[in-house]
Amino acid sequence: MKLNITHQERYSRSELLLRGIFGVIYIVLPHLFLLFFFSLWGSILSVVAFISIIFTGRYPESMFEYQVKLLRWNLRLSARLANLADDYPAFGLDGTDEHTSLEVPYPERISRGLTIVRLLFGVIYVILPHAIFLYFRTLWGVILSIYAFLSVLFTAKFPKGAHDFLVGTIRWQYRVNLYMGNMTDTYPPFSSK
Amino acid sequence: MSVESYYTLPQPHELSEREKEDAMGAYLMMFASLATSLPLPIINLIAAVVYYYVNRKKGRFIHFNCLQSLLSQLPTTLVNWGLLYWSLQIFFSESYVLNDKFYAYLGFSVLANLIYFVYSIVAAIRARKGIFMYFIFFGPYAYQKVYSKKNRLKYENEDHHPDVEQKVNTPPI
Repeated sequence: MKLNITHQERYSRSELLLRGIFGVIYIVLPHLFLLFFFSLWGSILSVVAFISIIFTGRYPESMFEYQVKLLRWNLRLSARLANLADDYPAFGLDGTDEHTSLEVPYPERISRGLTIVRLLFGVIYVILPHAIFLYFRTLWGVILSIYAFLSVLFTAKFPKGAHDFLVGTIRWQYRVNLYMGNMTDTYPPFSSK
Repeated sequence: MSVESYYTLPQPHELSEREKEDAMGAYLMMFASLATSLPLPIINLIAAVVYYYVNRKKGRFIHFNCLQSLLSQLPTTLVNWGLLYWSLQIFFSESYVLNDKFYAYLGFSVLANLIYFVYSIVAAIRARKGIFMYFIFFGPYAYQKVYSKKNRLKYENEDHHPDVEQKVNTPPI
């Protein structure tokens, strides 16, 4: 899986302020309203894909593509909410974005055994250990976000280290989501790289 | 209607993996309510309708299976709604009590759901193999609707057929 959010040379201060004050109204609400329905459909397809994997050992390709597109949309939104990218995030599953990219290779086969193990014990061996690390990373990420916010406000530059850290945290979360969503058999590494 | 009025049915080896998987998915929409955690009969039907409209143009084989799956859900959904309505009346209203008629209807509902479940699973497996399975009533109807040359829908995996081209401009006499 390859996830990236480009680090811009300069960030728009006016956009930062606009997002900070009215972001909930003009970005979060319209996107979340639509994403609610698309995610609902995504979760239905996840259940169908789970059953399909159990019977055939394959994640139906068109359903896989839908999930990847949905993740891309979520990424576009997350990048703006964390001030990691400028410009308004595109709506829709086929929306494009010059600042974010997410590539998930389609697996020809998904292990049926692992799928059942994930369902029964996924919380114990995937979610819990990763959640501990991600919890502390997110806490530090909040502090870095405030620092980066002020940095962009006064210098129009997003500190590279903070950017990499925040993108790394998102990447880590997405790896866990992909694994728990049966979209890969590769156990998510405890790494943000 | 003669055989010439219909398109030739594809054989399993002529269908792509993706087509087979999408066709199979239509029948698995009966598990949709699991995803929403709402045991309402309408959820599966809504999911089947959404799936039908999202996928029907992808190919005739997919269209056929989506339509058959959607239509075959209707009777079961109605039966389940009836059961839900009756159960709620017994639960909330004092004038309704559990009686033999209710138990008979409950048994009928369970049987109808079981038949629907088994048929759908078998149809999903056969669709995955690229084999046609015709449900009673719904199968022939779906076939007629999808494979008839009167069907004007343009499919993504087919070249444009001049014989199904809609004639917009016609002479005055």
